Amino acid sequence: MIEQIPVLLVVLPIVGGAVPLVASLVSDRAGWPVATLTLIGQVGLAGLLAWSVSTSGTVSYAVGGFAAPYGIELVVDGLSGAVALLVAVVSLGVLAYARQAGPHSGPFYGLYLLLVAGLTGMTVTGDVFNLYVFLEITGLAAYGLVASGRDASAAVAALKYLIIGTVGASLYLLGIGYLLAATGTLNMADLATKIGEMAAYDSTLVLTAFGLMIGGLTVKVALFPLHTWQPDAYANAPDTVSAFISALVSTVSAYALARLLFSVFTVEFLSAVPVARWALVGLACVSIIAGSALAVSQDSVQRMLAYSSVSQFGLVVAGFAIATPLAVVGATVHLLGHAVMKGGLFAATGIIERKTGATTVNGYAGMGSRVPLSAFSFAVLSLAMVGVPPAVGFVGKWYIVLGAVNAENWAVVAVLLASTLLTLAYFARLVERLYFAEATIHAEEPVPEDAPVTDGSGQAVSFGMIAVVVLAAVLAVALTAAVPELQAMLEDTLPPLLNQ
Amino acid sequence: MSSDERTGLYVESTIIMTTVRLVAPFVLTFALFVMFHGANSPGGGFQGGVIAGSVVMMLAFAYGIDAAREWLDVRVVAALASGGVLTFAAIGLGTIVLGGNFLEYHLYEQFISHVVAYAIELVELAIGGIVASVAIGLFFLLAAGFGHAVDSPEGES
Repeated sequence: MIEQIPVLLVVLPIVGGAVPLVASLVSDRAGWPVATLTLIGQVGLAGLLAWSVSTSGTVSYAVGGFAAPYGIELVVDGLSGAVALLVAVVSLGVLAYARQAGPHSGPFYGLYLLLVAGLTGMTVTGDVFNLYVFLEITGLAAYGLVASGRDASAAVAALKYLIIGTVGASLYLLGIGYLLAATGTLNMADLATKIGEMAAYDSTLVLTAFGLMIGGLTVKVALFPLHTWQPDAYANAPDTVSAFISALVSTVSAYALARLLFSVFTVEFLSAVPVARWALVGLACVSIIAGSALAVSQDSVQRMLAYSSVSQFGLVVAGFAIATPLAVVGATVHLLGHAVMKGGLFAATGIIERKTGATTVNGYAGMGSRVPLSAFSFAVLSLAMVGVPPAVGFVGKWYIVLGAVNAENWAVVAVLLASTLLTLAYFARLVERLYFAEATIHAEEPVPEDAPVTDGSGQAVSFGMIAVVVLAAVLAVALTAAVPELQAMLEDTLPPLLNQ
Repeated sequence: MSSDERTGLYVESTIIMTTVRLVAPFVLTFALFVMFHGANSPGGGFQGGVIAGSVVMMLAFAYGIDAAREWLDVRVVAALASGGVLTFAAIGLGTIVLGGNFLEYHLYEQFISHVVAYAIELVELAIGGIVASVAIGLFFLLAAGFGHAVDSPEGES
């Protein structure tokens, strides 16, 4: 049974996603229960799989019984097992938020489950072309979800996301073509042995493939200067969708980037071609600085959070590109932690907007007393993101910095430390406004009951919505306790990828 | 949806209506031909599905979009899309029940001979159903225009 789980993780949400479309003909509200049941099953399967990987090592699966280099192989090791579990848990959590926050239509939940299937597929696959297929499924479902907002601006943001995202995916596909020409295989493990054997690491063919594939994925990860789709998409989508895609879509793309670095091109490639490593580290550092600078200059809180993602993903990619075991563990911890923290922060902005109408940094002034629980969770998540111990944000950044120190990469160490200060700059400003500033929006002028919020759904805030935000804040601290377990799981499965 | 304003766009033409009536069965047959040939020659569910979907678009051009929308039951379109996905998944999961891996077709051989070919054809048909219904749905959504999307909640049909 255990060995069938990788494929069931992908099939279950697809089957679940086909049901709401038909069910919506019978009942308007059928989508949510179907999605919840499906994702409870998904969390169970992903948990079982992660447990199996941590006790008995990597699980691989030949789809259709076709043996690995020719058929499609699914591979789950410590890294992908952890990401698959994250996808399942976060998507179930966001559902609790969606019950009240909407959208409520059946097709919305169909798309939602399709996005879960795409993300899980990207996580468990061991085949570069299969990764492209799931990248496209993820992309298309995400464009559709962003467009499910009722504002015209949501449609424009989705169109922008679609055009830029498709260019990124096409670059990745072109890169696969070059790799196939160089080696004649698409299986990741097979590619790892054949690159360098059949085509030299510094041959133009392999370098072009590396540039195209990594370049394509950095569009999806939204590193500066390829991030332009991201603030619009996050800020204009319905709050449910913002929380969902800000937590998972870029995260899984960054995972895919790491997977390419370690399982396809391997660390030997990075050592043999220093220019490739420097280009990636350089891009990540520019992204850290530029993302933070842009975040500081934003007025809208949601856009600020979006630019903060640009900066934090720079940090994660820098950790992966440094590629010492410690830096990789740090990048993975920060990747998972960032997903929980950013999803929670976006969910909190949705609640604060519904309750008080505040959407800007100035509007947040004095809201600490109006929405105590959400504001407190927001503050905890902000500080966790800055990297205040004992939150998980601290552990991730600390390991990445230690990894950079081990690699004697002093420029990166300086950027990483500066980034923490910059993160503090924009989050401390918000926390200070929340608790220590005179309110600019007063309770005496309440938001009219029928005033439309960005996505036009209701004003009411349910217990489930607040519970999700509080849970995210608790997890942002509690996940620190899970880091040794994750580190052990990664060290069991990563050395073959990181042998040096 | 205000069908009164829209009727002005549609001009009835005997030539187009007759041609479409004549051509439609052949186009649908060709769609099935392409789907059935997906397993071992160029073609398959994606191409065949688009051709099948184009039949409905031809009918809409000939008889008017609103008439076609009323004629085509939305339940059929939704059932085609969901049924296609569920058929594909059922064929794949069936082999797991029989003790193999996902989509390991030859395990059905014990029940029906040459089942690998039939199962692949069935998967192609399922994909064709999904593609056709999505193409039809997109066509009607686009034809409804932006005003429709704003009027109805969620903007989905």
